[in-house]
Amino acid sequence: MKYMLLRHRDVPNINQIDIYQKNGGFDALKKAIKMKTDDVTNEVKEAGLRGRGGAGFPAGVKWSFMDNNNWPHYVVANADESEPGTFKDREIMESNPFQFLEGIAICSYAVGANAAYIYLRGEFWEVAHFLDEKIEEMEKAGFLGDKIQGTDYSLKIYTHLGAGAYICGEETAMLESMEGKRGQPRVRPPFPPSQGLYNKPTVVNNVETLTSVPYIINNGAKEYRKFGTDKSPGTKIFSLSGNVNKPGNYELPLGTTFRELIFEHGGGIPNGNTIKAIMPAGASSSMVVANDEALDTPMDYESVPNVGGDLGSASVIVVDDSISLDWLINKTVSFFEHESCGKCTPCREGAYWMKQLTSRIHNGEGTQDDVELLKSVATQIRGTTLCALGEFSTMAVVSSIERFPEDFEAKV
Amino acid sequence: MTKEVTLTIDGKEVTVSAGSLVVDAAKKAGIDIPTFCYHPKMEPVGMCRMCLVEIGRPAIDRATGEAVMEDGEPKINWGWKLETSCTNPVSEGMVVKTATEKAKQGQNGMLEFLLTSHPLDCPVCDKGGECLLQDLTLAHGPDKSRFIFDEKHHAQKHVPLGDAIWLDRERCIQCGLCVRFQSEIAGEPVLDFDFRGRKTEIVTTSEPGFDSVFSGNTTDICPVGALTTKQFRFGARPWELDATASICAECPVGCNTVLNTRREAKSGGKIVVKRVMPRQNEQVNETWICDKGRFADLNADNRLLEPSPAEWTDAIGAAAEKLSAAKGDAVYLVDGSLANEELYNIKSLADEVGAKALCYSEVGGGELTTKVGMKGDMGKMGAESAILVAGVDLYTAAPIWWLRVKQAADRGATLIVATQEANRLDAFATVIRYKAGGAVKALDSKEIKEAFSKAENTVIFYGNEGMDLKASQKLAKACADMLPKKEGLIGVWADANTQGAWEMGFEPVEDLAKVLKGKTVYVAGQDALVAAAVEVADIIVAQTAQATEASEKASVTLASRIVAEMDGTFTSAERRVQRFFPAVPPRGDALPGYVITAQVAEKMGVTLDMEAEDLFSAFSDLSYADLAEVNAEESLSIAGTCYENKQGLGAQLPVAVPTN
Amino acid sequence: MLVELLRGLKTTFKMMLDKPVTIQYPEVKRPVRPRYKGRHELKRYDNGLEKCIGCSLCAAACPADAIFVEASENTDEERYSPGDRYASTYEINFLRCIYCGYCEDACPTEAIVLEHEYDMSYTNRFDAIFPKDKLIVPVPSNGKATPQKTEPGLFDRSVPEMKDPQD
Repeated sequence: MKYMLLRHRDVPNINQIDIYQKNGGFDALKKAIKMKTDDVTNEVKEAGLRGRGGAGFPAGVKWSFMDNNNWPHYVVANADESEPGTFKDREIMESNPFQFLEGIAICSYAVGANAAYIYLRGEFWEVAHFLDEKIEEMEKAGFLGDKIQGTDYSLKIYTHLGAGAYICGEETAMLESMEGKRGQPRVRPPFPPSQGLYNKPTVVNNVETLTSVPYIINNGAKEYRKFGTDKSPGTKIFSLSGNVNKPGNYELPLGTTFRELIFEHGGGIPNGNTIKAIMPAGASSSMVVANDEALDTPMDYESVPNVGGDLGSASVIVVDDSISLDWLINKTVSFFEHESCGKCTPCREGAYWMKQLTSRIHNGEGTQDDVELLKSVATQIRGTTLCALGEFSTMAVVSSIERFPEDFEAKV
Repeated sequence: MTKEVTLTIDGKEVTVSAGSLVVDAAKKAGIDIPTFCYHPKMEPVGMCRMCLVEIGRPAIDRATGEAVMEDGEPKINWGWKLETSCTNPVSEGMVVKTATEKAKQGQNGMLEFLLTSHPLDCPVCDKGGECLLQDLTLAHGPDKSRFIFDEKHHAQKHVPLGDAIWLDRERCIQCGLCVRFQSEIAGEPVLDFDFRGRKTEIVTTSEPGFDSVFSGNTTDICPVGALTTKQFRFGARPWELDATASICAECPVGCNTVLNTRREAKSGGKIVVKRVMPRQNEQVNETWICDKGRFADLNADNRLLEPSPAEWTDAIGAAAEKLSAAKGDAVYLVDGSLANEELYNIKSLADEVGAKALCYSEVGGGELTTKVGMKGDMGKMGAESAILVAGVDLYTAAPIWWLRVKQAADRGATLIVATQEANRLDAFATVIRYKAGGAVKALDSKEIKEAFSKAENTVIFYGNEGMDLKASQKLAKACADMLPKKEGLIGVWADANTQGAWEMGFEPVEDLAKVLKGKTVYVAGQDALVAAAVEVADIIVAQTAQATEASEKASVTLASRIVAEMDGTFTSAERRVQRFFPAVPPRGDALPGYVITAQVAEKMGVTLDMEAEDLFSAFSDLSYADLAEVNAEESLSIAGTCYENKQGLGAQLPVAVPTN
Repeated sequence: MLVELLRGLKTTFKMMLDKPVTIQYPEVKRPVRPRYKGRHELKRYDNGLEKCIGCSLCAAACPADAIFVEASENTDEERYSPGDRYASTYEINFLRCIYCGYCEDACPTEAIVLEHEYDMSYTNRFDAIFPKDKLIVPVPSNGKATPQKTEPGLFDRSVPEMKDPQD
């Protein structure tokens, strides 16, 4: 299929502005700034574009929540991409940056923002530098800055680097970090569309979400809906990794099955091993048992929960039978323990406790009671935390113990 | 008329004003939801997750906007997870369940998590006995630990955060109350978190460390023993201490305090004051006291234990003889450290013999503050107020007023600071700087005039920064003239009860040497005043508490009691009369000052009038019973103990005072 | 008549021949049981440091308010107990004490123990108040007397290591 997001795979060097323009670049922006802002939002709403960062919240609906009694408005692109197993946004920003920037511009126009920010994780300083150059090129070409393309609309895009914290991918923690404070989530409600950056209405969207916007404006919502399913329209970049022969980013319509992604595109499991489990949302996933039912499940926001997981950001990590899950959850729990911001008690203390337990179990020093204790602690964290990090830190743990008890029995 | 909202908590219906938090509404209904990081005077953050409850809201049909009904009752949508009651404002028809199985599991779970890293320090921790973590663990926590002891997180213990406060990083439960107090209330963000996750710890960001005069308050609000004072370290267990209501005597604010006392072996078995804690008085000091008052040494050692001559009858006799001989030529000299009762007796005696009654103060304008003094509640000053701080550094002279003025500015009051030197109030105010001697001229400013003409309520604080008495008197006059409503003048005196002296009718004295030369003097007050008198006067009858070189040189020394040993009242510089009670037994043979004066007077053949109204009508409406009244509804109950005020909130004197 | 007299005096005569149960105290003392609650002793560790950390839990537990404790800070130059805190003043008023043993139960470091001495006498109320030097046990043979001078960093734990009370 022709790529909608990873267009550099069809058109080489599309990260150069003249090639981008030759291939229909900035047509959507030119079209959008002549439309009424509400029409732009409605088009995206009708297209049913869902947030690609993991939550799957309809983007157009989020844009329509902006408080029009409180100005100015801001748009922040979430390029923090710290979820283990996720590497799609980096490819977009490095190889197809103009479509991303165009998406930001259209979104900013639709919500009336004159300043937009790209929050990149601290480790992406090269990407930020690259984007700064691209923004400058775009300004020179007259698609950013004052009075774009002869209209009254002005927009400046800025990049902002984080400092190496996964928690700053959480939207309110990201806004806190941008304001110069400690990157810790705020109490919600109020949500960013009513009180966000500097307490002004802010749209926070993932890189991939914004990159999908130009296609929708250019070709219309109906065209966009030709891909994907009814409730999850459009294409998605699946970051495939783990025990597969061909890991990497694959842009496919939502609704593609796991089997197709892993075995057709991903080349199957290496070394003749058998697939055991799938983590569809990176380290934050539940462990989905890789039986036929799961493999034949379409990958969209509605169907994956039926097999006990969540699509999330579609960072599909494949686990084969050479991996013992006590090792795997020791790794994920260590990650969450390291990245916990420490603001709320259950995540801060609970993640530390879980790490002691998983580490002991993995080293063979645990007992069956410890496994039960681990499950109990993880359940105790659920439903009590300030933000989703704490919640997600327990997903892999509880699902692994419940669905793959033999891996733990072998260790104690 | 604020909007009212009705909700149901644990089956009880309760009506509160809109915008209240669920945890406050529950307290009104008599239900105590456990909290750590919640404080009614600070913004809620929902960090500790201790106040988790189940909250259900009535389902609203999106199309019609009407409540969805089910069996005749509104259908309630329950949240899928527990929510923190301290961050949720009430809404109409909300249903809250605090004691269901699910809510209890959440609360118990949070305590279990906190206890996994909390060290086993209770036997050696100063907070033991008044520790919120201990109390909540008994009420809601697990009795056994599932966590392996050896895996506990270790951190630094007894880190000095500056001179006065010690931090124990292992005990800290990362509730953020200290950080939030310093940044939101004190306006001096000298504490902050560092690192993240389990390694989060408190650090001080100022050099010198914890550079704030309000640092002691963080030890009150810390729910565990992480922040403790160096002064009280290992002093005593809270249940071993007796509590007595008192008033701080370090500055003219008159903060309400509690003196905790215990017998001490180090002092030879005497009962001493172990520590000073705040008492709640929303109009004076809320629930805070500054470090000057908190760490004041009230057990001074160099006490005068007996009069000189050694027997009281002899001493009184000698004093009476000398004073009678001088008659109206004697000078009766006091300072603001004496209680109203002592001042009253001295003034009465002076009046009876026709002698001069003087009060030594380096800040002038006392006669003005009695006429156009403060009226109203400093805690309520907001956008309708204009405040001028002229010629005084409130941060050092009266820290709690600095706090009140800063909070008023936060609430929208117009604040103008006119001082010679830069000070810590500048950041919150419009600043007028003048050179030495230019205070009065600087007040002739357009900004001040404008602010005062627009404001409904005007308050002026003035002092004697870089000025002598005459200059500060001129400043006081200029300030008094500026007040549009002829009320709101506050002189920031050096002592606690100087205002009381002015109210009694004492006169200021500019040149002590001139006034006292060759005279017989009855001097009552601190050692510095006695020393000044002893330098110049002929015959000195000294009523004082400390045994110093000066007191030895006096002709007759009358050993008096200190504030902590006496009953009495102080009048703060905002003209609020407040009562203090004796906390420790008197040392030696010391007598209360008013008893001494009464006996001397009697020996002189003078009967002192015991009716206040004859001398000073402003006091005539007051009674000790009035001073003891308490408004119970307003009292906070966070970790229960130290704030409760059972002994009285005092009363403010009315402004328009008919002069005698 | 005589028979009845003799029958009545049978028990008396039997007792005259029996060995008396009287113990010749104080030359001979009746041994007490292991858990006998007599006078308190403040114990030490083997290295000579005092076990008491001055926490006042014994004073709080005492139903007769017989114990008075004041705590002070240990320094490495002058160390009395492991950890931060030691009892600088420790007094038990034996006229108030009811020898119930609650203080022993409350102590977190097993410092205060009711031992077997019961034969105390005093001629006035003041002497009945035993200060710390009358309650503390002598220094064990391989330990040093307190106060000790110790290496910094060695005795950092606030409450010293406790062995399982079940032992």
